[in-house]
Amino acid sequence: MGYSTLLFLHVTSAFAMVTAAGLFLAIALALRSGRHSASAMRFVPVAGILWPVGGLLAIVFGVWLTLHDSQYSLGDGWILAAIVLWVIGSAIGGRLGAGYRKLASSGATPDPATLVLNLALLVTLLVILIDMIYKPGAS
Amino acid sequence: MTLLIIRPDSWNLPLLLHVGGAMALVASVTVAAVALVQGWRTSDPTAASLKRFGARTLLYAAIPSYFAMRIAAEWVASREHLENSNAAWLGDGYLAADGGGILLLIATIVANLAVRRAPDSGLGKLAKVGAGLSLILVALYVFAIWAMTTKPS
Repeated sequence: MGYSTLLFLHVTSAFAMVTAAGLFLAIALALRSGRHSASAMRFVPVAGILWPVGGLLAIVFGVWLTLHDSQYSLGDGWILAAIVLWVIGSAIGGRLGAGYRKLASSGATPDPATLVLNLALLVTLLVILIDMIYKPGAS
Repeated sequence: MTLLIIRPDSWNLPLLLHVGGAMALVASVTVAAVALVQGWRTSDPTAASLKRFGARTLLYAAIPSYFAMRIAAEWVASREHLENSNAAWLGDGYLAADGGGILLLIATIVANLAVRRAPDSGLGKLAKVGAGLSLILVALYVFAIWAMTTKPS
């Protein structure tokens, strides 16, 4: 696969991650009002697919891009930072997704930290985007 | 292609706003599409709630994101001196942005009109048009991402 195709797949996967984060946030906002919780649960299956698939493909094609292009190295600071941030984001998104699935299946009470976790996920994704655009330390 | 990997620093902020705006736009249109399609598929009372959520998401999240993406796109183009470029990928980008902008405006108007006309009922014809347009927009945005990343000549 060529550089352009890998970049397209990497960026599209990143868009899928951000879209899943948007769905997670939509669920959290709808859950704040008890009368919308049934509607919120309708987002769970889509977010539950988009987040893991988008996240996995983003890291796979990101690493592939790094190995494909001689200008990049997995040891570059900005790439290492992106991988660490991706791990943090995956952990937060994974916890949110699992919490929502549990909520949808058992009707349990929403985790009070849900909104904070959503904000943490959005901040993590924003920092990853800044890192990808500015590439600090790249020569 | 690899010549463009490291950009001048002055391009970074407009590019960040352009890509960030595009991500927020795609996310909000997709959230609206999911809400409207899920509302379409059900006849229970959640349909009205989903219709309202989809319409409000288009109005309060997608439209502002569109302006952020579109204004930053002009900023990037001016920094890269692409104002008079005839590059095919740039034309594709403008097609997706401006054509998509019109579709987004129509989807937002019809979905919110549907909520205003029948706030407590299911989707109805107008909101279904909004749902269909939202899905078309998602496909158009995938095309735009392809054009922006692969830059076909």
